[in-house]
Amino acid sequence: MDEEFEKAVTELSAQLAGLATPEQIRTELDKFLNVYKVSMNAAKSGITKKYKKDLSTSVGTFVTGNAVAKNIADLQGTEMNVDIVGKIIYVEKRAINVKGIPKNIVSGILGDATGTVPFTIWSDEVEPAKGEVYTFRAAYTKKWNDKVQINIGIRGKVEATPDVKIDNITSSVPASGNAEAPAVKIGDITDTVRNVTVTGKVLSVEPRNITVKGEAKTVYGGLVADESGKIQYTAWNDFALKEGETYCIKNAYIRSWKGIPQLNMGDRCEVAKSAATVAVATATDTARTVAEIMKVGGGLDIAVTGLIVDLRTGSGLIERCPQCNRTVLNGECRTHGQVQPVMDLRLKTTVDDGTGAISIVIGRADTEKLTGITLEQAQKMAADLGDPATVENRMAALVLLKRITAKGNVMSDDFGPQLNARSIEPMPTDIEAEAEKLYNEVEASL
Amino acid sequence: MNARETAWRVFSSELNTATFEIKATEEKMPSYQLSRLGAMINRVLITGVLTEKENVGTADEPMWRGRIQDVATGMIYINVGRFQPVAAAVLATLEVPSLVTVVGKVKSYTTEDQRTFVSVRPEHIVTVNEATQKVWLLETAQSTWQRLVAMKKALSADDRSEAGLTAAGFGPAAAKGLAAAIAQYGTPDSESFLKSVQAALRTLLPDKNVDLGLPEDLADTPEEMSSEPGEAKAEGTTEDQEDAVLSLLDELDTDGKGAPREDLERRAEADGISSMELEEITNSLMDKGLVYEPNLRYLKRI
Repeated sequence: MDEEFEKAVTELSAQLAGLATPEQIRTELDKFLNVYKVSMNAAKSGITKKYKKDLSTSVGTFVTGNAVAKNIADLQGTEMNVDIVGKIIYVEKRAINVKGIPKNIVSGILGDATGTVPFTIWSDEVEPAKGEVYTFRAAYTKKWNDKVQINIGIRGKVEATPDVKIDNITSSVPASGNAEAPAVKIGDITDTVRNVTVTGKVLSVEPRNITVKGEAKTVYGGLVADESGKIQYTAWNDFALKEGETYCIKNAYIRSWKGIPQLNMGDRCEVAKSAATVAVATATDTARTVAEIMKVGGGLDIAVTGLIVDLRTGSGLIERCPQCNRTVLNGECRTHGQVQPVMDLRLKTTVDDGTGAISIVIGRADTEKLTGITLEQAQKMAADLGDPATVENRMAALVLLKRITAKGNVMSDDFGPQLNARSIEPMPTDIEAEAEKLYNEVEASL
Repeated sequence: MNARETAWRVFSSELNTATFEIKATEEKMPSYQLSRLGAMINRVLITGVLTEKENVGTADEPMWRGRIQDVATGMIYINVGRFQPVAAAVLATLEVPSLVTVVGKVKSYTTEDQRTFVSVRPEHIVTVNEATQKVWLLETAQSTWQRLVAMKKALSADDRSEAGLTAAGFGPAAAKGLAAAIAQYGTPDSESFLKSVQAALRTLLPDKNVDLGLPEDLADTPEEMSSEPGEAKAEGTTEDQEDAVLSLLDELDTDGKGAPREDLERRAEADGISSMELEEITNSLMDKGLVYEPNLRYLKRI
């Protein structure tokens, strides 16, 4: 055994005097280092921890500390060990499946004078009673959909605290409970909105059969619209929605998928026929600036007008897998291996309207229309010059700084908003008129 | 969200004076050149005439430098290295002069004597036609004007901090940029930007006698009177100044390679010739065939 090993044994023996013999330490250290290939530092702290129960008095590498007590409004969603005293506002027992094993958990809402927060107890050993005050000890918090949640895991405890009275609970989520969700226009719904009441016309209803918790269930999906816009909905119960009818939909909730907000009609939702006449914004797409889109995150049937300021790689002549339609490189598909690729055209553009930049993907038909180069011509061009990249460069010169109006659905991810173009219209600028307008404006204000 | 940086449409007058860099403080955070009108510029879109190109690297590892004249006699420097393979390939085949549009990242470089040069590292260079150039001139004039208006409004605010400007109704990005620009540079010299707008409008509206009534002394400067390069020559530069520059060239050309432009600019400034005037004078001298540029940063007598 080398010097370092012996030094560590001596060190640990001194630290753990009375708790472990040098022989035990030698065996442990050998196991950590040579069997499990753990680093020396990790091995030392592992052994110290194993034998020394009370680490707070040790020279210690770990800081356990005691749980911090916090009010609900002060929770960050990152606490590892926190005590919270609150009143149970709502509680239910739920059966879940953890890796195929059924398990009962308890979830609900906890409130104090500063706010309310959802909680989950990952066992059913305690079942707190509604309206009573409890102390959630050694809880950890997480964020889901930007909302903090309290969790009680194996280390945590929930203790009745009857001597504390909490009367004035502040609700963090005004729409929870029985309060009616605020009425909003569909066009104003963003992915940060939670509960809403909307009045709109159902444009389509399609039943879908899904399996929820092992049970077959029919849900209904489609589009609902008002004069400000339209939104996809999912009705988790049968509200007997009919196409073309106008409804007042109370207490629906919003969930977003890639920045596109979707309206969900769940258990607390009430749907009533409405006599209101709704002028549906179907005919026209909603014109938006990029800045407006960024605020919302996404949406359906949006029209953006701007200049093509960049053409990104993956534009021009591309190859697609005949089976999955994904792009392939050198005839090799990521899932289907060597394939006989199908040739296609597309443009991955960045369109900038001065308020921001959005990625717009343009399919073959509109690419041909914008560039005047057909797929056949592009293939010939690539073959003649022996380089498919020439097509991209040629197209870049043809489309850069072109002004277009793109229509389609917008989604957002980490790289910003993206619009998959359903249609592209060139929008030539009336340069002279615009220039004169600017001249008059500048002259008038000088 | 790592949203893509907007490609700012700026004239050379605004870009070249955007000398202050807002450095990235975290990984993956972009850095910006702060313009005097509060634009936080990471990427630009410029259009103009590629007037020069030069490979300062090797044939195997080219490093291209070029100059683009955007409006009037404004110049923007571009640098294309091996990390811009697409642009490098295009630039290698481009004829000089040609009308181009460039999308690229903005970089700055500070010399030992604390002079900062702003240049563009193109991601894309494409040749374009005059119609496209007009679109750019219009868009850039419009957005420059908007920034001038916003800056004026910001300067009149009681509280010019970011928070103050946000409270005054500016959007988050505008408030940040404007507050930083005011803190960094103070009140901008709006005339130089207005002159770019004026030059752009003259190109766009050739039949109108575009005159923004800029103060006489500035409107008299030849480079702003004309939207065409070359036309500006000689009128405003006196023989005396040209002689002065020629003698400076003799003095500074110590090794036969020519006079370094930086040294020349410094000496000229000491003699009361501004860098803009110097540009004018050297252009005129080049037109007369008295001097040439052995490469971009040097000037030599013939």
